[in-house]
Amino acid sequence: MAQQKLFKGITPYFFVAPAVFVLAFTCLYPVMKGFELSFYDWKLGTPMASRQYVGWENFAWAWRDPALFNSIRVTLIFTACAVTAELFLGLALAFLLEKGMRGIAILRTAFIIPIMIAPVVVGLIWRYLFDANFGLINYLVQLVGFEPKIWLGTPGLALPAIIITDIWQWTPFMFILFLAGLQSLPRDPVEAAEVDGATTWQVIRQVKLPLLAPVIWVAIILRVIDAFRSLETMFIMTFGGPARETEVLSLNIYKTAFLSQRLGLASVNAIFLLAFILLLSLGFLMIARPALAKK
Amino acid sequence: MMHRRFIKEGVVVWLATFLCLGVNQGSAQASPYAKYAGTTIVVNFPAHAFYDAATKLIPEFTKETGIKVEVDKVEYMRMRDKQLLELSKPKGDYDLVSFVCMWKTEYVSKGLLAPLAPFFTNPALAQPGYAPQDFVPAYLAIAGLVGGKKGYMPGPTAALYAVPFASETSIFAYRKDIFDKYGWKPPKTYDEMLKLCRLVREKEPKMYGLTSRGEAGHQVSAAWLFHLTPYGGEVFDDNWEPAFHKEPSLQALRALLEIVKTGPPGISTFAYGAMADAFLLGNAAMYLDSTAIPSMVRNPAISKVMGKVDYSLHPKAKVHSTETGGFGIGIPANSTKKEAAFLFLQWMTTKEADRKIARLGGMPNRLSTLRDAQLQKEFPEFKAVLENIKYANPDWRPIIPEWPEISMQYLGTAIHEVITGKKTPEKAMNEIREPVRKIMERAGYYGWKK
Repeated sequence: MAQQKLFKGITPYFFVAPAVFVLAFTCLYPVMKGFELSFYDWKLGTPMASRQYVGWENFAWAWRDPALFNSIRVTLIFTACAVTAELFLGLALAFLLEKGMRGIAILRTAFIIPIMIAPVVVGLIWRYLFDANFGLINYLVQLVGFEPKIWLGTPGLALPAIIITDIWQWTPFMFILFLAGLQSLPRDPVEAAEVDGATTWQVIRQVKLPLLAPVIWVAIILRVIDAFRSLETMFIMTFGGPARETEVLSLNIYKTAFLSQRLGLASVNAIFLLAFILLLSLGFLMIARPALAKK
Repeated sequence: MMHRRFIKEGVVVWLATFLCLGVNQGSAQASPYAKYAGTTIVVNFPAHAFYDAATKLIPEFTKETGIKVEVDKVEYMRMRDKQLLELSKPKGDYDLVSFVCMWKTEYVSKGLLAPLAPFFTNPALAQPGYAPQDFVPAYLAIAGLVGGKKGYMPGPTAALYAVPFASETSIFAYRKDIFDKYGWKPPKTYDEMLKLCRLVREKEPKMYGLTSRGEAGHQVSAAWLFHLTPYGGEVFDDNWEPAFHKEPSLQALRALLEIVKTGPPGISTFAYGAMADAFLLGNAAMYLDSTAIPSMVRNPAISKVMGKVDYSLHPKAKVHSTETGGFGIGIPANSTKKEAAFLFLQWMTTKEADRKIARLGGMPNRLSTLRDAQLQKEFPEFKAVLENIKYANPDWRPIIPEWPEISMQYLGTAIHEVITGKKTPEKAMNEIREPVRKIMERAGYYGWKK
């Protein structure tokens, strides 16, 4: 009997084990190696055996490196602006298209096209749209009577251009999550509110939004983590320029590893990125948990 | 009867043996390529006009030698990541790589390239009429010599690791139709050139002055280098102390700023391709960059200015000083087919091949091709190229192993801040002095100082 109980206790672990092993090997192992590497000076193209132990030197360098702090600042601004805009636009679209109307199926399909395009391609498309000489955006701007701009090469314009690109690509993601959430909401509270004479706005604010809260939190967490790691669009559109204005943390890590050839220092910067994402995720989970519990 | 038959058979056998021996002897002496027939080598080439032309010659090489060639084409600024990873593996996939000369010292310092001397000393491999002295001397030095003066220039301790293949110098190109319209002459000095930049803006409302690269990082750093040495500036002084913040270097930066102001919009986003496009599509009246441009001007698929362009000498500021740069081809130390790769390298860079590639649209690497009277008729720009080569500066930029980091991460950021109007030349260049010094110190450049 006891043996059977023990067996029952072990069974789930037995089934989960392969997944845990695979995850440990593909995720945990590289992360541990990254930590190890952060104490070494190792250049790309030289044998690993020739790397040198430098103790905390890489951390000290990173701490005094204005480029790293600049990239953290850029990443924070980028993430905050992009995700906020995507959140509100996604919500607005979801509420607008929640009720059936003519041609809604086509609209919904059209809205999700951007998510399906590879970020590199999105970067290329928008790089041409924002092009100073041949870009559609400058053409439209001139049509309305404004001066054409060098969007991707002017301080103060490049980051907004990249944020707009991100909003274009990822608002649909928010929209789909919210739409699915709205459609799975229980009808009773909404109907009850309507019977009580609540206006549409009141229904949205007092009934639907609170019910939708868990979905909203999940969407925000996913998007924030994703935005923090984003690299491709900046890589293609500006490569971090003008100067370092659009150099997000991932791009800084790439440049440190591949341009500067300092794999140890790049590992330190990667640890910063990991720590940031971990903290953010934990924070969001803490805030979101009560909402999740309610459900 | 019997007897005669014996003799006959004997003669036949003897003859056959002789012939066999002869054939055997023949195969030992015949083609040096025979031993490698059927081998497939993998080469890494950049997407570049010269290499497009050179690739067209490969079928001829395979037909003649039996060595098959697989080409892996990569955008040139992405080649370094890829090559560093490939070349540092115990056994790499590439048997021959093309690389920008600014990476040569780094590659050699990491032991990634095979020295070429063992091949040139092997009579079974080295072709007698190869004539290396016929390469443009500045090209051979910039593309292939490592370990000489300052580590990257010719000198008693230098060794050869690559040969020029799309090596280049700078050239000034201008719209002859526009210049003729206003009676302008190609500028001899920077002052004249900058004046022309302003004049173009005044006279031609839809046209801009000089096109330039300007994307943050390597590209804007290269743009500045084109003007740096003519103004007498340098990146480091003879003691490896930063000199990019000193007056001549700042003058070069101010010239670049002036060029950006009168140049086509969007220079701050231009890599080489977009920079050349501005000239090829007729937005800019002048071009001052590498000698890769004439074949692009002649390509109707990308050019609207065919027949409207003429070439001249890179203008002088304090001195005449033209670029040394472009690509070389070398053999990775971890290749398993080095001999076959060398035969390919040699075949593709002979006088004959150089001439054939020139006919296909590639800029020559050899003096004999550039001086060929018949070719000069077909390609009038060769004369201007020869003129520019006279001033090719072997110390055009410091090609030390740390150069890619300094150029792309520091100079490329500071200069971009200047051309986008964020900082003054003085402020931007002074701010990166300390960080660059730290990199040099870390690498050990200052350890020998008393």
